[in-house]
Amino acid sequence: MSGEPVLAFEHVWKKFRRGQAHDSLRDLLPAIARRLTGRGARSPEEESRDFWAIRDFSFRVTPGEVLGIIGPNGAGKSTTLKLLNRVMEPTAGVVRTEGKVGALIEVSAGFHQDLTGRQNIFLQGAIMGMRKAEVQKKFDEIVDFSGVGEFLDTPVKRYSNGMNARLGFSIAAHLEPDILIIDEVLAVGDASFQQKAFARIKAMATGGAPVVLVSHQLDRIRELCTKAILLEKGAVRATGTPAYCVDEYLYGSRTKAAESGEAVAGFWFQRVFAPNGTSVFSGQELTIVVEGNADFEDAAPSWTPAFRITDLRTGAEIYSVTGFHRQVPLPVNGRFEYHLTVQMNVAPGAYTAQPCIWDSMARTNVAMGPILQIEVLEKMAFYGTVQLNSRWKVIEPGVGVTLDDASFRQTA
Amino acid sequence: MSAAEPAPPASWVRPRHSIVVILRELWESRELLWQFVQRDLTVRYAQAVMGFAWALFMPVMIVGAGLVFRVVLVTLSGSQLDGADVGGLAVKSLPWAFFSGGLSIATQSVIANANLLGKIYFPREALPIATVIAQCTDLGIGLLLLLAIVPFLGLHVTVNALFAAVVLLLLVVFTAGCALLLSCANLFYRDVKYIVQVILSFGVFATPVFFEPQMLGPKGARIMLALPLSPFIQGLDIAVVRGHSLFDTVTLASRRGDVVVWSPWMFAYMVASAALVFGMGLLVFRRQSGRFAEMA
Repeated sequence: MSGEPVLAFEHVWKKFRRGQAHDSLRDLLPAIARRLTGRGARSPEEESRDFWAIRDFSFRVTPGEVLGIIGPNGAGKSTTLKLLNRVMEPTAGVVRTEGKVGALIEVSAGFHQDLTGRQNIFLQGAIMGMRKAEVQKKFDEIVDFSGVGEFLDTPVKRYSNGMNARLGFSIAAHLEPDILIIDEVLAVGDASFQQKAFARIKAMATGGAPVVLVSHQLDRIRELCTKAILLEKGAVRATGTPAYCVDEYLYGSRTKAAESGEAVAGFWFQRVFAPNGTSVFSGQELTIVVEGNADFEDAAPSWTPAFRITDLRTGAEIYSVTGFHRQVPLPVNGRFEYHLTVQMNVAPGAYTAQPCIWDSMARTNVAMGPILQIEVLEKMAFYGTVQLNSRWKVIEPGVGVTLDDASFRQTA
Repeated sequence: MSAAEPAPPASWVRPRHSIVVILRELWESRELLWQFVQRDLTVRYAQAVMGFAWALFMPVMIVGAGLVFRVVLVTLSGSQLDGADVGGLAVKSLPWAFFSGGLSIATQSVIANANLLGKIYFPREALPIATVIAQCTDLGIGLLLLLAIVPFLGLHVTVNALFAAVVLLLLVVFTAGCALLLSCANLFYRDVKYIVQVILSFGVFATPVFFEPQMLGPKGARIMLALPLSPFIQGLDIAVVRGHSLFDTVTLASRRGDVVVWSPWMFAYMVASAALVFGMGLLVFRRQSGRFAEMA
């Protein structure tokens, strides 16, 4: 370990095997017997279930650099983190982590439920590679930061999820690593703790150590990173400035998706776009316009235009709506254009909107349009998945309104 | 996956770790090891009385079972049971309780921490080794109890009893080696723990815990003492109960002729098997630990 700390991938490949692992001897012994008699070679079908989670991935992060890795679900981001963290070994290639690695990933994983907060600080600290003397020195800071001071001698099984996460984060945040790996731990605890945590992460990330940050919060990638990589299906799709990669992520796949959009005969989605931009603040309205051509001979009366909105992070469909009950007519002949306005009452992040044609009798989509990627930005920090547009008003007896959300918003 | 898919370099050699590297890394993470030991002990001795009782329960049960067994044997053959027999049983039940108790917990030690494996890197060897070290406290409690009852057993303790320290140390190393191998195997093949349990329940008859080797005749004694665990148990018996040096050859008369119950070769065998099993355990465990996160 000499010279400056380095964080690098050199032509890294990672393969996962599917359907081959025997997890009991009971299954293994017959398999060995089959193989010995020459009848048990892995079938091509079995081989094809292998998949490369990471394909020829190289990068290098030097001190002072913050690399952001973005990409849709299944792009290989978590595998990359696990390889960097040395939790997994690459199938081929070299992972270089020279220096003491600090990882802000699953920060309370090492907690034992029967031990007290105090005992767990030492346990988790040791698992993360801290010396006992180091933990002792920073003990008060850790406790202060976490805000669980009065429950220090209570077993953590009596802690709330939030307290658990806060304590875990506080321990990790007091590591003094040579290199830093950050997963989306930004969503820890309540809003005030999140802000504190984010400030801490920012301080750590800009402290001069090489950093790799994986996040779906694209605005944070833009804010924190000095460079970025866009991963797709395990391979690098774009590399460059954070702004470039985020744009590529959000808009780059539009044309591609349009090509792959399915259609029934006589119906073409030509363009899906957001006239006022695809970036909106959480809680604000977004309008999506669909343009296309229809030339139907035999459109079933049960067909209706529909939309679905998916969370890019989880891949879950968070909202879908059809025109059926609203009696929205399906365009039948000639050019058409329809608009959909939705209020993005969701957490900041990346989403997709996709127009489709829904058959309300068969209950399936008969045609899928191109995918539009949407970015929801953070306006006021909150924790959770749904934007409830809270407003505050504080009234002090005898004084009157000391805080009104309306005035607060104007000054903020 | 299409045929045009790019492929990684075919000649890829995984880096190997030597025993020295692994041991150095373990030494560097001794504080982690100690934290795991503390965790295991704190959880087990959370109720101090129960914990202490548990430490005594296993050896006492083994001595009890051994006594019943011996009484039956003695009654059938029409001879008598003396204090030295009871003392021998008590002495030999300790290493057996340590080995079987430690191993059955340690076999599960890696899988029990599966949630950690995929998230944080640390030398995974610390998990089974810490379990074995934690088990040493039970051994220590048992030893104290044994020291307390020695005067009542009619044993002629000589200076050779100090060999016990060497034997126990080697036993801990041997057990740690087995723990590394089995905890790793149990992660990949989840039924290993059942096999371990079965072997441990019958092992007490295969090793010289209940039987004395001389009861089996010259040939039977050779087979019994050839089992890797036997020299540790027999060594304690020879040094503590019979008061011989472990560098001597000890021969006992039996109905089927003279039986060699100890020789210096067995001492060498004991050292070699402890070193071999531990070394192999470290290497195999480290070789496989890169795949732990995928299995957990």
